[in-house]
This record gives sequence, C-alpha cells and structure tokens, in this order.
Amino acid sequence: MRIKIIITLLIITSIQSVSGQVLSSSGRLKDDGRFAASTKQVNQFFRRFNAEESKEGDVRYYSGDENYRNRDLRRSFINILFDNETSDVPVELKREFLEYVVSESYPQYLTFHGGDWFAEASTVFSYEGKRQEVTLFLKLQPERLGYEWVIDNVVFEPYKNAFDKPQGDQKKFLHPLSHELGFMNLRKAIQDDPKPESYTPKDFSPDYLTLFIFEIKKGNLRFETVKDVKYHFFQIDKWYFELSQFNRPGFNTGWLISNLVKLGNGDKDLIMDYIYGSK
Amino acid sequence: MKKYILSLLIIFSATSMVALAQDNISPARKQAIDSLALEKVKDLSKYISIIGSKETQFSEATRVMDRAEELFAPEAEMGVSSINNSEIAYYKIRRYFERLMALNYDRVNISWYDIHYISDLERQPDGRYVGVITVYQRFEGTSQEAGLNYRDTTKKDITIYVEKKQTQIAGRTIEFWDVMLGDVRVTETSA
Repeated sequence: MRIKIIITLLIITSIQSVSGQVLSSSGRLKDDGRFAASTKQVNQFFRRFNAEESKEGDVRYYSGDENYRNRDLRRSFINILFDNETSDVPVELKREFLEYVVSESYPQYLTFHGGDWFAEASTVFSYEGKRQEVTLFLKLQPERLGYEWVIDNVVFEPYKNAFDKPQGDQKKFLHPLSHELGFMNLRKAIQDDPKPESYTPKDFSPDYLTLFIFEIKKGNLRFETVKDVKYHFFQIDKWYFELSQFNRPGFNTGWLISNLVKLGNGDKDLIMDYIYGSK
Repeated sequence: MKKYILSLLIIFSATSMVALAQDNISPARKQAIDSLALEKVKDLSKYISIIGSKETQFSEATRVMDRAEELFAPEAEMGVSSINNSEIAYYKIRRYFERLMALNYDRVNISWYDIHYISDLERQPDGRYVGVITVYQRFEGTSQEAGLNYRDTTKKDITIYVEKKQTQIAGRTIEFWDVMLGDVRVTETSA
C-alpha cells in the first residue's frame, strides 16, 4: 500500500515538474497558456488595449477587418491588462475606466505616435567613483523619415541636492547699486558664498539634462546599466495610468497597468511633479 | 542562404502589386517580412541549441557561431538579466555564443517554446524599419560530478531591421526587403 502511495505521489510530482515542457507536434515545448496570456511587448499592450489582434495574439487586425477594435474583444482584453496581484487599483475605478474607453459614442484608443506617453528608465551610472542611480525620462519624437526615442528629462539626486536656492532673509543678494562699483561684489557672491544660486532670477530652474550631458561628455558620468523601465500614459482623456512589467509565475504577467488615476483639473501637473520627483 | 534568397523573391512577388516607389509596408508585405524574420529567428534558435550542446565538436561549434553571427547586424549585443538581478549585463553576440559554448555542464539541452510574438514595424529616422520578435527558450544543464542540475526559461526579445535593397537580375533592377537581426534582450522568467 505504501509503495502504491509513493508511486502515485511520484507520478503526480513528475507531472507537475514537467508542466510546460510537453512537446508539441513541431518538436517544440508546448506553452501551457502562460506565455500566450502574458502581455509580452508594449506593442502587444497597445494592440490588446485597442483590440487590434486576436485573443491568441497570432493574427493582427487591421482597419477594415471584421474584428478590428471590436468592442467585446476590447472589454475582455482590457480586463486582463491590469496587474491584479500587487497593485491596489480599486475595482470600481477599473470598471469606470473600462466603460469610459469602450464607450459606444466616444471610444478612446491608444496610438503609438499619439504623444502624451513617455518612458521612465531607472539606470545606473558611475559618478565620482560610485555607482549612482539616474532616472531618465524618454519620449518619442519624429525625426527625418521615422521616429526616435530621446532623453527628455533626468533625475539625479546629486544634482537635486546641489541646487538649493535660499528664500527670504536667508537669501543673499547683489545690492541694486552694484553696477556703480563695476560689480566688484561678484567675488563675494560667487567665490565666497556656497550658494551662488542666490544670485539668479526668481524663475531660475536648473537644467539638469544639460548638466547631465555635459558631465557625460567630460567623462565624469559613465553609463553602466538599465535596471527597470516603466511608462506613463496621459493619452486617454481625463485619465492617467502607469504601465509596468511583471515577471512572475502565473497568467497575469508582462506589461500591465500598475496604477490608474482619474484626473481632475490640475491633477496632471501634480502627477508630473510627482513622477519627476520634484514634490 | 539559398532559402533566404527564395524568401526574398517570394516577398517581392507577394508585394509586386505595390508600386516600388511606395515605402509604406502593407499588411500583406508585413506578413511576408514577418515570415522571413521568423525564419531567421528559427535559424538562430537552432544555432544556439547546437552551440550550447556538449555533443557539438569545437570546430563545428565555431562554424555554427560564424553562421549565427552572419544573421546579425554589426554591433548587435545581447542584454541579459536574471530574476535575482534585474540589471542588464551586456555581451557582444560572439562573446555570448562563446560563453554559451564554454558553460561547465556535462550535458546541456536547449529547447524552444511553440510560441512567438511579432511586433508592428516602425520606421526609424534613416528610413529602415525596426520590429521585435519575442520567443521563449528552455535551458537545462547537468553536471554529474558536482551533482548540479540547473534549468531556466528565458524570454528573448530580438530586434529585427527591415531594409529595402536593390539587386540586378538579367539587367533589371529588382527591389526587395531584407531582414537582419539586431540587439537581443534576454530576460529570465519565473516560468
């Protein structure tokens, strides 16, 4: 009896250990459905969101095809395009978003070249002999015969900490008759004061990207690697969502919506400030 | 090489209805280009399996590496990350193959899943088109002496460059679309 139980257990465990390893008729390993379910590319996220491919992902639907942007297909796709395991997007909010984008009278689609979406790449550079994290924001722009991704903004802690313009009584200044002295007080302002940003206009805002490029060219910053990438979408009118990649067991994997916000007046600016780490 | 030429001509014949001056890729042409690109990816898969196999002689592996390298555009790189380390490690294509060949296992079995995904083609500033094909690979390595049995499943996102080229056949200029492989992103999956 004991032997029978052991044999049964062995058979069960061996079946589990080879799941996903069954050979198909082509001699290749048969996908048990997990890879098919996964949103494997950002491109597939666009196609699924718009219902521009079949459920299996093997047929591309073009304008004029019967199922192109089919409303029911979109519903079923968008439901699986959310991270349902770790993100806390309320069910009611997801439902509202879904109804909004598949609306019969005013459906909303994502377009690759439509703008209002950008990438956030977490990278590592070596700087002053240390590994430092640098966040790069990239956007798509037209260029000659096609398109290219360009670096649009950069967040780098050492830069942020380097510029701290004092306010009010703390802020030093060049007095209004400095010109009569041929600005001789510039020496004290720039050489002696550790906060030369005090002597800049009210609307001064350091251009970190220019600094960043300059330091790369000077050899002070050296690229090492990319750690992670995610995307921010403002393309759907009155909505923001974040797209992240989930590499984990199961069927809810790949490029999925990890954050969803319904935008009120001024909310876009708040979210942009949050993304750029300025608030 | 012969089969690629045949494929190229098929692409040409499948799309000869479209004016040659037109650079947009129609769905029919896209499908033909996808087939050619997929053929190259399948060849790459086959070559990787041969290079990785411990039964392959060194001279044969070197020859296959040469063939595999020919599939790629110059300067193409492999970017590899694992579940434990999401940072990308960069390897030149040849170096990646050499590392694969030198892995310290008694037996290596590399197999491929019956699923692939092909992106749309996007035009880059120089007029060439670029796309990405995703495939999944299973690696199993056994080292009897150390009692090691390692296996992983990796997702491979392979860049494809599609370019319109010209050739002379019997005095006539024939235009065709050629496909080259580019950078490959290799991500270990949890599967």
